Amino acid sequence: MSEVEKLPKKMIKLKWNDKDLEVPEGTNLLGAALNNGIKVAHYCYHPGLAVAGVCRMCMVEQQGVPRPFPACNAVVAEGIQVRNDTKQIKDAVEWTLQFHLLNHPLDCPICDQAGECGLQDYYMKHGQYDSAMIDKKVHKKKVQDIGCDVVLDAERCILCARCTRFVDDVTKTHELGIVNRGDHAEISVQKELHNDYAQNLVDICPVGALTSKDFRFKQRVWFLEDVESTCIGCETGCSVKISQNKSGAYRVRPIVDSEVNGFWMCDDGRKIYKHLSTPGRLVGPMVFKNSMFLPVAESEIKEKIKSKNIKFILSAGLSNEEYQSFFKEFKNIKNITLYQLPKTGAEFDGILKRADKNCNLRGAQKAFKLAGADSSEEAMKKMLDTLTSQDALFVVMPEIVYDHDNYASFLSKIKKAGLRVALTTDDMRSEFSDFHFLLPVPTFLEKEGHIINYQNKERKLNKGRSYGASDRNVGDWAHLFH
Amino acid sequence: MSIANKADYQNFTLLSYHHIPSVHHLEIFEEAGGYEMMKKCFTLDPEKIKEEVKNSGLRGRGGAGFPTGVKWGFFSKDRNQRKYLLCNADESEPGTFKDRYLLEINPHILVEGMIISAFALGTQRGYIYIRGEFYEQAMILEKAVKDAYKRGYLGKNILGSGFDFELVVHRGAGAYICGEETGLISSLEGQKGRPKLKPPFPAIKGYRGLPTIVNNVETLAAVPWIMRCGAAAYKKWGTEKSPGTKLFSISGDVNRPGVFELPLGIPLIEVIEKHCEGVREGNKLKAVIPGGSSAPIFTAEIAKEVRMDYEDIAQKGSMLGSGAIIVLDETRSIPDILKWTLEFYHHESCGQCTPCREGTGWMEKIFKRAEQGEGKLSDIELLDKVAFNMRGRTICALSDAAAMPTQGIIKAFRGELESYIKIQMKNR
Ligand SMILES: Cc1cc2nc3c(=O)[nH]c(=O)nc-3n(C[C@H](O)[C@H](O)[C@H](O)COP(=O)(O)O)c2cc1C
Ligand code: SF4
Ligand code: SF4
Ligand code: SF4
Ligand code: FES
Repeated sequence: MSEVEKLPKKMIKLKWNDKDLEVPEGTNLLGAALNNGIKVAHYCYHPGLAVAGVCRMCMVEQQGVPRPFPACNAVVAEGIQVRNDTKQIKDAVEWTLQFHLLNHPLDCPICDQAGECGLQDYYMKHGQYDSAMIDKKVHKKKVQDIGCDVVLDAERCILCARCTRFVDDVTKTHELGIVNRGDHAEISVQKELHNDYAQNLVDICPVGALTSKDFRFKQRVWFLEDVESTCIGCETGCSVKISQNKSGAYRVRPIVDSEVNGFWMCDDGRKIYKHLSTPGRLVGPMVFKNSMFLPVAESEIKEKIKSKNIKFILSAGLSNEEYQSFFKEFKNIKNITLYQLPKTGAEFDGILKRADKNCNLRGAQKAFKLAGADSSEEAMKKMLDTLTSQDALFVVMPEIVYDHDNYASFLSKIKKAGLRVALTTDDMRSEFSDFHFLLPVPTFLEKEGHIINYQNKERKLNKGRSYGASDRNVGDWAHLFH
Repeated sequence: MSIANKADYQNFTLLSYHHIPSVHHLEIFEEAGGYEMMKKCFTLDPEKIKEEVKNSGLRGRGGAGFPTGVKWGFFSKDRNQRKYLLCNADESEPGTFKDRYLLEINPHILVEGMIISAFALGTQRGYIYIRGEFYEQAMILEKAVKDAYKRGYLGKNILGSGFDFELVVHRGAGAYICGEETGLISSLEGQKGRPKLKPPFPAIKGYRGLPTIVNNVETLAAVPWIMRCGAAAYKKWGTEKSPGTKLFSISGDVNRPGVFELPLGIPLIEVIEKHCEGVREGNKLKAVIPGGSSAPIFTAEIAKEVRMDYEDIAQKGSMLGSGAIIVLDETRSIPDILKWTLEFYHHESCGQCTPCREGTGWMEKIFKRAEQGEGKLSDIELLDKVAFNMRGRTICALSDAAAMPTQGIIKAFRGELESYIKIQMKNR
């Protein structure tokens, strides 16, 4: 960023209906209203995309301007007075809504978007349920699988062109376009979706025309609550919210964070909820016996590790607070190293995704340094090479793994340790069979804490509902050694 | 050389060369006085040319009637900046065929007009966007452009003036919406012919994001005459607010349809009775559409009173538009006219903005339902409301162009629509 850009922007004063607004110079007029909590019906405007001005819902009048115009195609100017509460504008908006509903199937009872649909919101508000049109609707293709777990229902589409602008301007993959003219215009899938950000299409589609195959029909959205957090999928650390309720976690969506992810997140990040509510989550310490994991008393573990040489390999995905408490509790242990996930894919994909999948490598390095421990990969390899039957090795398992081969080869090297204990957020998977004991630790959604992303920015992890034993974090297991 | 081969600047501004046989040949055009003004203009201050055009009061002949000099005044004066001059030869408004008539007989008047305008505006490049169906006309134009290049009237350093101007003829693919200036620009850019949001206006940010002036064929073709005879002479014709002459395309139920160059402000009835030799077969006049398919229809009574200038037509509830006069006699059915209008606009809406995309289709469906005998008298009200709500709310004026004639017909011929709905119901 240049020096000029860093200067605080001049503030502009304007009036929207009877409310005085003060916003930075250059702000989009509709954006100014929305950012100030004013509800303005709009379908095509999206702050992360170029202006299209096609839905014609955000019309306003401005004193001194002869004709109404869409607020999304204007920027704020000092002293302007705009209104969208006059009779003329309200009538116009109601009619434009009516035009939107004209060829819309109104199949809300079977639509996944119901509850968070732009059309439904406004026609409930404006009381337009029965479309005045007794004339036949234009029919288009219903359920089409268009790739990347996205499903298109062309009949529900209101042609706001958000999706086409997204694939043209953000991913530049151009899979979608609008073909034909007039009311025969429809979204055309030029080629299957093939980008790493396709789930954003589901978020930005204001109606139920683009839905997620992953989420479709699993839950009605009004039964869900959102927990704001940070994605642990890579070192970018996108701000996200996770939708969950007592029966589980269902989806991850981005939160606007201008410093980190803007409006978007990648499709890898969408999957970070998958392990949160799997049925096999640990309910307490487990022992591997007779080819299966069984509950075990802590005293048994204590007994086993008593005479051993304790060694630790931490993951690079814990919170700053966990590292802190860990190093506080295990002050006397000298053998502590760090397993870093290997780089996967391009260093940076030009949008958000980064090859370094360690969501808190910087936090880990800082904590290691402070504690005088060596966080380097060499130190970890050296530890693996020198393991003996006298060692009790505690491994904090990474919460998300991309490169399973690398992971398997790492696990194969720990076998020289006489006793092996995994601290994991996961369920009892077969790859854990090399461990003698499993100890549950909280997932990223079951603890309060912070991580430091690749820009050295701190982002927060928030605690939501828990679906397994999650009351003890890594440091809390220190009592096993007392 | 005979007098017949000289241009008639006394009686015509636009058709002053049209009586000359083979005037599409550069030499013949030139012998008659063509390209004289271009040469003279290179010796003038470009600002002077703009001023003369502004003083003439010339209004855009593409339909909106915006004063050309004012539009040119919004344009960047920086002669080094890359800018474009586009000529709109898409002529697709039903009823309009004057640009075609002008071009196919005298393509050089447009080329000369464009060179002068380009010099005045400081644009280095121009395109003539010609309607796809005008194949022959495009060939005639291309030949004219080629000949002008050969004579050194186009290209680099034209006649040693230091002024460069490249001119290209570009054929459209047959879409009414590509006549809308920003639809035209999208199409020329190689995109789908969809109008762009305004602001920014093309004069600021047009073709390829650079300043662009779009003018109709007839507008640009009027420039050489204005430079030759002066703004004051131009204003001797027409009214104060509608100076000059205009090409009228007259079709329908008259004895002599065609294109006529007439002074603005001429009574419509004089156009029909005198120039078109009256309504065909002595039939009674029923209605007139005065400015192309987008213009609200006039009943015979109003048609007999109206003068053909921007303000009088507007005052009586319609518009001069492109100057396409469609005359309907007593044998014509108004519902037919409405149906044809609705079908046309439904077919031509580009579909990007909601009121137009949905409204044009909806109106046609309402009408078709009535045609099937399933209409209700209240459908007239519904049609009127839909049309009303399509106006003034869209990216381009096509939505208005579909709504205005619909509302016009309802206003002028409600009784006929009502009986139509009833008759269709009975005949079901
Ligand atoms: C739907 C639509 C179609 C149009 N078609 C034409 C056309 O075919 N030719 C034309 O010159 N102008 C057409 N116009 C007007 C142009 O947008 C523009 O105003 C004109 O080319 C400007 O030139 P002028 O100022 O010389 O009239 C159309 C406008 C609309 C809204
Ligand atoms: S599919 Fe959704 S996002 Fe795309 S144009 Fe249709 S309504 Fe808009
Ligand atoms: S870019 Fe990284 S942090 Fe952002 S959503 Fe994707 S995986 Fe998560
Ligand atoms: S008004 Fe109609 S034709 Fe014009 S941009 Fe909108 S949809 Fe397209
Ligand atoms: S939000 Fe402004 S026109 Fe769609």
